Amino acid sequence: MRRTLTILGVASVALVALDVILGLWVTPPDADQGELVRLVYLHPALAWVALYLAFGMAALCAVLYLWPRTRSMRFDRLSASAVEVGVVFIGLTLITGSIWGRPTWGVWWTWDARLTSTALLGVLFLGYLALRRVPADPEVRARRCAIAAIFAAVDVPIVHFSVVWWQTLHQGATVLNPNLTPTIHGLMAWTLLLSFIAFTTLFAWMVLMRFQIEELRESGEDVELTRALEARRAEGVAS
Amino acid sequence: MSEPTAPTPTTTPVVPADRTIRPRLRLAMVGVVIVAAVGFLLVKGLGSSLDYFKTVDQAVSQKHQLGTSTFRLEGTVVPGTVSQSVNGATFDVGHSTLVVHVVNEGSPPQLFKASMPVIVVGHFASTDSTTFLSNQIMVKHSSSYVASHPDRVRAGDGSKN
Repeated sequence: MRRTLTILGVASVALVALDVILGLWVTPPDADQGELVRLVYLHPALAWVALYLAFGMAALCAVLYLWPRTRSMRFDRLSASAVEVGVVFIGLTLITGSIWGRPTWGVWWTWDARLTSTALLGVLFLGYLALRRVPADPEVRARRCAIAAIFAAVDVPIVHFSVVWWQTLHQGATVLNPNLTPTIHGLMAWTLLLSFIAFTTLFAWMVLMRFQIEELRESGEDVELTRALEARRAEGVAS
Repeated sequence: MSEPTAPTPTTTPVVPADRTIRPRLRLAMVGVVIVAAVGFLLVKGLGSSLDYFKTVDQAVSQKHQLGTSTFRLEGTVVPGTVSQSVNGATFDVGHSTLVVHVVNEGSPPQLFKASMPVIVVGHFASTDSTTFLSNQIMVKHSSSYVASHPDRVRAGDGSKN
């Protein structure tokens, strides 16, 4: 595990650095957007991680936890780790989108279906994290959170298809469009692909780190509980 | 004065009332905050209409219904119709064969130019007019990314791309 984390950490830093170099200095400006296009090597990859990887993984782990045959607290911890990282990424998605929107659209924010459903997703998963902080028996908390994760993840396909189902200011998908025909070419396309790989690697590293911390915390709590029980038993024997 | 006595041990621990209430209260508070936030977003974003704008065709066909109410109009800037001044810009936006003349107050955004799809916020000047008075222009750029070619020979209209 330690070795995997080291490899993932080094790889994610190197890939993100390469993405920044290619995105800022090597790729050409866009015919319409000029230099503003450079945010394409950041914003879609952040959204990809938040929506599909983090919240998809959280929902999958929630289902595996609720399914009696696969029920394990490890799925609960993995789900929570994915949500924590996902909330960071969706925050960055909204911030970078806003920075991109101001010079291209002319507004920092607007209430179109894509932006609103994305903000809604962020709020729902913030609610998941708040729910997790409510004191409860670990199994009760895990069940509540699993149901909350599945409920919140229903918004993911709504975010994805919002630009197809409704008329929005936000443009349609460049790669995952209905025809699955990327509308970006050459070095720009390869750098976009690299950004997806870089942030996927970063996500894997962050989730595994967070998961390991959660495992250590849980095992620490078990040790504390065992010590407390032994102390009480010793008190009982002494009296 | 009697000696202070040690508290009598009880077989069932007494749990303070606030400890049993607090998690429930916190759960309720979390629920209220989430419902309020989700409700706000739904009302603000999706309350009026899921469609963010009306196309030129839709707006022209619903002109009598729309009257002089404020809405968002989408169309492509017709080349050769843009006229900019210190106070704003005038231009035509089209969709299929229909065209609406736009009179905008304020500076257009950075990417505003001919042949770009735009969304203008405003209203028709009157129920009979096809002039649209707007106070905001938003550029609806496409999802296609094409490298610009700075070395390309300029076209007849002076553009490079």
